[in-house]
Amino acid sequence: MKTITVPALARVEGEGGLYIGLQSGKAVEVRLDIYEPPRFFEGFLLDRFLQEVPDITARICGICPVAYQMSSALALEAALGVKATPQADSLRRLMYCGEYIESHALHIFMLQAPDLFGKESAFELAAAAPQIVANALRLKKIGNRILSTIGGRSVHPVNVCVGGFHSWPEAATLTALLPELEWGLKTCTEYVEWAAGLPYPALESDYECVALHNEHEYGVLHGEVRSSKRGGIPVQEFETRYIEVQAKHSNALHSRTVEKSTYLVGPLARLNINHEQLGPKAQQALRKAKIALPIRNPYKALLARAVELVQFFDESIELVKAYKPEGPAHLELQLHEGEGAAATEAPRGLLYHRYKIDGRGLIRFAKITPPTAQNLPRIEADLLALAPALVEMSEDEATRKAEDLVRSYDPCISCATHFLKLKVEETRS
Amino acid sequence: MTRLAVIGIGQSLRGDDAVGLEAVQTWRLSHPQTAQRPEIRVITAELPGLSVLDMLEGIEAAIIVDAVHGGAEPGRLHRARSEDLEAFATSSKSAHGWGAAETLRLGREMDPNLRRLDIRIIGIEAVEFTVGSSLSPAVREALPRASTAIQQQVESLLERKEA
Repeated sequence: MKTITVPALARVEGEGGLYIGLQSGKAVEVRLDIYEPPRFFEGFLLDRFLQEVPDITARICGICPVAYQMSSALALEAALGVKATPQADSLRRLMYCGEYIESHALHIFMLQAPDLFGKESAFELAAAAPQIVANALRLKKIGNRILSTIGGRSVHPVNVCVGGFHSWPEAATLTALLPELEWGLKTCTEYVEWAAGLPYPALESDYECVALHNEHEYGVLHGEVRSSKRGGIPVQEFETRYIEVQAKHSNALHSRTVEKSTYLVGPLARLNINHEQLGPKAQQALRKAKIALPIRNPYKALLARAVELVQFFDESIELVKAYKPEGPAHLELQLHEGEGAAATEAPRGLLYHRYKIDGRGLIRFAKITPPTAQNLPRIEADLLALAPALVEMSEDEATRKAEDLVRSYDPCISCATHFLKLKVEETRS
Repeated sequence: MTRLAVIGIGQSLRGDDAVGLEAVQTWRLSHPQTAQRPEIRVITAELPGLSVLDMLEGIEAAIIVDAVHGGAEPGRLHRARSEDLEAFATSSKSAHGWGAAETLRLGREMDPNLRRLDIRIIGIEAVEFTVGSSLSPAVREALPRASTAIQQQVESLLERKEA
């Protein structure tokens, strides 16, 4: 039996494990253990008042709290049979733009670009290409400022509530962001061509892409759940098609289609399904860089993120200019028993929530399906395709190559530069 | 007016990873007069990652408090300063990716202003990171010591400025 383990992790809870099982030298099984399902939170939410839910679920993923606030608020509003006002909805979209900008700027330039440039980390990239890192930090800061302006602070913004917002931010604080937003749009537009020219490893898969689809806008907050292979369904039917199954030999719950096949959520899925809904500036950037769709190479999710940066900067400018806080910032909620589901597009992909509430607004049931849970079987399938090459490499190189692939998916632990323990085992058939 | 930032970093609802947040809260409650001084900015931040750099704008000194996992006995306090950041980052990892040490290193490489900042790091050795668990006993017992350490650093930094 051949076992390779590699120590050293930047992240301690949930040590990353990658197991490759060989039979007669051929890779037959890949198990990736990097992800912690939110089961604790689903239990913790029981008996809580519904207004606590956005803030609690925001702690499931430290990198995308806004996505959790939005999915949970929308699901609970569905349970109550109400909709936030159009003004609140627009402000939610602007807030989401801020989170996308932060998340994508971090991932493209600080997490994945070092891999593509053959650098160990963003530090090395900063030494070789300081302008890229300086721009990334500036872009990320703009995202932060959107969140702190609307949400009160950039780390776990607090203004979102079920029914809308606790209070309207002053219009002047938002228009003050415009110069930096304009710089961001211009800079990100240039980076799309840069992104198209990066040396992506070759790997293609025929993905079933799944994303929120909306005829009138690039789907983020509202729409149907559309698959590239089987059309769209209303969000309420999500669980009839996409289910969680117990992964073998593991505590993890993996998401699969009802036929047990894998599917892909995230920027690639969004771009492949929704590119016609992009605004003119993002469409133009896509055309100018000659990006062919659909994209089937997981490393090229970076391209999708680069195009989405243009889209979300463009939208931010429009939304800031159109911002006119009118009427109450949130609805007065009439509490009653109910059940509701919602799906919004987090930067990493579709984030689905379902809740049951009782007559006092207390949570009776919570189900949360994050994007990383949905992508995990898909990442394993890609790693299985990569496995024949990996087992020929040295342990260090194999670990590195596997991490590069996992990192291109931007899973919830992608902040770590080195996070995998690799184990390769020959089994008797 | 703000000259000094006291920043607690961590993840609530994740066991000992909350200790940075709790240590700053403990300090704030035990030393309210100091904590409320107008020239001090007190922040508790959940997994801020690179956003820590934004929190350092316009100030002269900072105290950063975070959980660390370096293999020492739980509850042990580690102290480091800006100059030690390289060694600190490699020898005792912060409990989450893009931890304080890595972020500060990057920030100082990218921004000359940050190199002038006097940064004091207080790391609290942590051991239990399960979602939903509270602070483990040895780590909880360290809170008063951590609070005292924060106060000492604050006083030392304020005195230096006044001198």
